[in-house]
Amino acid sequence: MLALSCSAQNIDDVVEHGEQVFAKSCATGYCHGVKGGAGGAPRLVGRHFDQAYISNVVTRGLPDTGMPSFAAKLSRPDLAAVIAYVATLNGITNPNIGLPDASATIPTGPALTGEAARGAQLFRDAVRGFGRCSTCHEVGGLGISVAPPIAKVPASVADLKALATPNVKTGTMGGESMPVLVLSEGKQSAVFYDLTSVPPVQRNADPGSVKFTNGSNWRHSSVIAAYNDSELAAILTYMRAIIQP
Amino acid sequence: MMVRMRFCLILLSISSALAQDAGATRADWPHYGGTQFSWRYSALDQINTSTVKALTPVWMFQTGDYAENLQATPIVVDGVMYLITARARVFALDAATGREIWRYQYPEPPRNVPGFVGNRGVAVGDGKVFFGTKDNYMVAVDQKTGQLAWRVNVDDPRQCGCNITAAPLVVKDKVIVGGTGGDGAHRGYITAFNTRNGRLAWRWYVIPGPGEKGHDTWKGDSWKFGGGSPWLTGSFDPALNLVYWGTGNAASDFFDGDRVIAGADKGKDVNLYTASVVALDADTGKLRWHYQEVPDDLWDYDSAYEVLLIDRQIRGRMRQILVHMNKSGLTSVLDRATGEFLGTFSVPEVRTWISGVTEDGKLVGRNEPQLGKTLTICPSAAGAKSWNSMAYSPRTGFLYVPVNEICNDITSNDRAPDEGRGYMNGEFPMKLAPGRTSYSHVDAWDPVTGKRAWSVPYKYVLLASMLATAGDLVFTGNPEGEFFALNAKSGNKLWSYQTGAGNRGSPVSYAVNGRQYIANPTGWPVAVVGALLQSLFPDQDWRSGSTLVVFALPEGSR
Repeated sequence: MLALSCSAQNIDDVVEHGEQVFAKSCATGYCHGVKGGAGGAPRLVGRHFDQAYISNVVTRGLPDTGMPSFAAKLSRPDLAAVIAYVATLNGITNPNIGLPDASATIPTGPALTGEAARGAQLFRDAVRGFGRCSTCHEVGGLGISVAPPIAKVPASVADLKALATPNVKTGTMGGESMPVLVLSEGKQSAVFYDLTSVPPVQRNADPGSVKFTNGSNWRHSSVIAAYNDSELAAILTYMRAIIQP
Repeated sequence: MMVRMRFCLILLSISSALAQDAGATRADWPHYGGTQFSWRYSALDQINTSTVKALTPVWMFQTGDYAENLQATPIVVDGVMYLITARARVFALDAATGREIWRYQYPEPPRNVPGFVGNRGVAVGDGKVFFGTKDNYMVAVDQKTGQLAWRVNVDDPRQCGCNITAAPLVVKDKVIVGGTGGDGAHRGYITAFNTRNGRLAWRWYVIPGPGEKGHDTWKGDSWKFGGGSPWLTGSFDPALNLVYWGTGNAASDFFDGDRVIAGADKGKDVNLYTASVVALDADTGKLRWHYQEVPDDLWDYDSAYEVLLIDRQIRGRMRQILVHMNKSGLTSVLDRATGEFLGTFSVPEVRTWISGVTEDGKLVGRNEPQLGKTLTICPSAAGAKSWNSMAYSPRTGFLYVPVNEICNDITSNDRAPDEGRGYMNGEFPMKLAPGRTSYSHVDAWDPVTGKRAWSVPYKYVLLASMLATAGDLVFTGNPEGEFFALNAKSGNKLWSYQTGAGNRGSPVSYAVNGRQYIANPTGWPVAVVGALLQSLFPDQDWRSGSTLVVFALPEGSR
């Protein structure tokens, strides 16, 4: 990451840095072309965009298109630089190089090191396929929020393994029983996660066709069994670093 | 030059082999490729070389979703058409009139979810309609009501940089789907879910993990980010119980220094099972055989395209074969029971990435992109053919293929991978192939002889799928909006209709109450390959849209 001190930078440096950010993050794959030319995504040169528009699109994305929000993908100095660079492609010779509005950017949380960084990697380890924490938990902006947000991090690996899950019930439908996490029981439909296997399946059923009873044979300790104690300890360290009590 | 096939031509005669009966559609168009054999061929012949001149629009359906073009292959079952738009609005329509029976609109994913906007079709089976989404869910809705039945996340797109644009394939009690992400730092896979309840049935990773056969074709940890995503739709042979799928290119696309072991023999398999055709057990997802078309792919030559299962006489013996085109236009003919290589031919007229292919299918004279250099490579990463499908007619024995003659100037770089982010490692601006004036042609190829029977040039690019029918017609469309029919035997143009927007979709044919229909999705794309290639024609303003145009013969004329 570029360390920027506002007093020491000039527009040319920022725009030059923006060009590098653009080459790495925007003129990639099937997206924008080199130096803002047309690629898989539209041309950006000479489109008469004003800088406010560019800033808005870069930070928030464009709905219904492949243009994502870069607010959480780039540091604020990188965002500022790439916005300034795209502004110059649109004839704005003296772009604003100030950092974009902090409210537009998603906080990325504290930088993780050591055990917490290892825990973060284990939490969402793609090599584990569906056997990773992020199959059911969203933490730090990654993962699927099947389970409610984690409010309290277990104090120890032993506590994690002994975790009680009273919100998991037993659903009975068509003569079949399954562990479920109920999302809603409305007049139109009952919506629940079927936890029989991973990944959990969100299912909708006619309210009369499914019955929920308290308690289940589902155990959190079973679904985390692929992690060893050292790995679980690292994951707890990660969660403590990122989840504020 | 095309490689001469090792077998001689035996003219096709009527055969009782399974594919010959099961490959054609009739009243329904039940699967993405027509049938699970993926011929995109209809046995209906009411509309034929004599009657086609009277073909006229009978209804249109405006989807109202203009975020992207209409790429979907419509599915037709028992007189009801199921159609999905780019943003996963799903419609059930009366296939005779276009009357809306129900609609289901998938909730808009949050803006920070990356991924391609676009959807190439639904699958129908077990009383449900299945589709993938931009936020990487497999979704099932009730076929009669459109009510949500289940949905399940395949992978967090914010991490994997992958999502689903392909139509799923229903195979017995499972729905099978591939994903995007093959040009990113991602490890591709095919996933099968139980149609009834959405529970995972199996997953097959394109790239073998530690301890699995083929893992040693990857350098170090590169297997974790080696791409290979199978981003289109496969085929199924019920007699062999095998599912066939094409896999994507290796990542990074244009630089292999991080993924190929120094000194690797590129005459053999490298970076398995990328750029390959694979046969998987339909029940377990276990690999039965593979054929790698491009070992160490350095040109973004996916093998992700459709897999045609046909039966043909070869050297006097009826064989169950598989025909599969790589993005380079190199087309493999394999025994689909065993994967045995039977022959190959190359469709583009300008080819610089290799100088040839040996009799046993090995690439010769590889022209590999290099760091710090710019090389003109033909065909381009947009493909000798794009993802739009070819068609096959058992009456003529020809494959019908839209071929683009585009090259790209590839400049490689050696950036390190970053999970879920782009990992192409190169720039590749497009241009017309040297020495040519027209950008594309529609061809008829005999897969057994590897010979081209006819070719019709077109001045711009062709990016719509082909439809072949027993009326000896071949249908497709162009970006100028013209939807047209060619004589399947000669290539002569017999009919055309200006649909008002560019063609990038996949036409189908079906019948309701004895009347044959041709349905054509229209609307020019705004993203990816369409826009890449449109940049070649800055003075052209091909129209976007999202309208299904349905044709039939006038009521009195049948």
